[in-house]
Amino acid sequence: MNLHVRIQALRNARDTLLRQPAATLLTILALSVVLALPVGLFTVLGNLQNLLGHWRNQAQISLYLHRNAGPEATARLQARLERSPGVVGVRYVDQTEALAEFQHYSGMTAAIRTLGENPLPASLIVELDPLAQSPQSLAASVQRWSQDPAVASAQSDLQWVARLQAIVYLGTRAVWALALLLALGAVLVMGNTIRLHIAQRRDEIDISALVGATRSFIRRPFLYQGLIQGVLAGALAWLIVTAAIWYLQGPVTRLATLYGTRFPLVGLTPGQGLALVGLSAFLGWLGSRLAVGRHLDNTFS
Amino acid sequence: MIEFVNVTKHYPGRRHVLREVNLRLGQGEMALLTGPSGAGKSTLLKLLTRLEDVSHGTLMVGGIDLATLRRRHIPAYRRRIGVVFQDHKLLMDRDIFSNVALTLQVAGVSGRLVESRVRAALERVGLGDRCREFPETLSGGEQQRVGIARAIVHTPEILLADEPTGNLDPALSTEILDLFRDFHHHGTTVLVATHDQAQVERLGMPVLHLEHGRLMVPKELS
Repeated sequence: MNLHVRIQALRNARDTLLRQPAATLLTILALSVVLALPVGLFTVLGNLQNLLGHWRNQAQISLYLHRNAGPEATARLQARLERSPGVVGVRYVDQTEALAEFQHYSGMTAAIRTLGENPLPASLIVELDPLAQSPQSLAASVQRWSQDPAVASAQSDLQWVARLQAIVYLGTRAVWALALLLALGAVLVMGNTIRLHIAQRRDEIDISALVGATRSFIRRPFLYQGLIQGVLAGALAWLIVTAAIWYLQGPVTRLATLYGTRFPLVGLTPGQGLALVGLSAFLGWLGSRLAVGRHLDNTFS
Repeated sequence: MIEFVNVTKHYPGRRHVLREVNLRLGQGEMALLTGPSGAGKSTLLKLLTRLEDVSHGTLMVGGIDLATLRRRHIPAYRRRIGVVFQDHKLLMDRDIFSNVALTLQVAGVSGRLVESRVRAALERVGLGDRCREFPETLSGGEQQRVGIARAIVHTPEILLADEPTGNLDPALSTEILDLFRDFHHHGTTVLVATHDQAQVERLGMPVLHLEHGRLMVPKELS
């Protein structure tokens, strides 16, 4: 198909949208809100996962070492642990350090002294990213590590990791379900808008068909209308999410400060923003295609 | 150019609209299709524009059997013909130029050529200086001229008209039908449906008369 035919269709689509600026604006606003909702929730979820990443020191596994475990065996085990997936840090705590920590947290200094020698073993403290592995594979890793000849016993509390992962999984599922529903809503909004445009331009469609227009010639301006509105709605949704992040950053910073930490919210990256615009354009195009396809089936039957 | 062989058209559960119509219209010929309302004139033209399918029989146009013409080839076929309607079927939100240009745009003709050909078509129907006016500013006869310009702008092989003077006074009817005769003189095959007996007699063209779906005086025109 010639380029000038496509340009003509693009002008046709643009002129149609500009002829009804209020209706066009309302459609774009409705679409952008529909898109901004799930994208905003995905962004919140992403930030939540970042926040959980900050809590990784809470997901610790203590591997208590045999008294006769030599420095070489300990170093070998530490290196192995550091290479393991989901492990973000491994810290060696020798007997003296363990005793000092125990005395500091328990206050049982006198009781320890009566034992004569330090009863606490050296250990390797493994810090984990709680979301990197499933609780099952984490448990399997702990089991494997505990079978190392240098390890006397392992202590871990994986229950909260399982709970945390279940919550994140539930949140992700819920956001996906919402996103799919709202994507369907976007298609329906665009389909209905285009259906109204088709009704307004029924004469033009019928006359065009009578003078020899092909389906694609008639369909093209409507598809471009959907595409243009989709692109603009996607860009606006990106703007809405960015503005919401900016709006929330102040209170989040104040809250983080109260916990003695910093937590910068992360918005959409340029790549994600462009993907949003692309997805929105696709949904606009799809809604138009479905609406105009049904009408043309009647016109050309 | 146009050949009906035992063409019948009926709708499911309804009477026959056309019954075993036989006629032949050669290239460059002109005929008037007459008959009372409901005789089947519009249906016959709809068969020619492939808006309706033949129920029985064979309908050949320019060597194409319309009964077997595939749906995807219909647009290309329609670009070979020009159609004028009683109610003009103009787009009221577009100026005269755009209305006429539509026929060329659907055919993929490029912008500069569209400009020159639309102006030439409008000159031919006497509206060359009114390109940028909108249809609602024109009289009924002028609107019909725009419809004719749209039908002939792509120099079709066949020009069909369904009661093109139905809403016009006698003087305007004469002007419009003379335009069709002019196109016929330039080599276009023309078939005009009309019930205006005075114009039929004035033009002195071959007549195809339909009554209750039957061609009463089947004529070999070529």
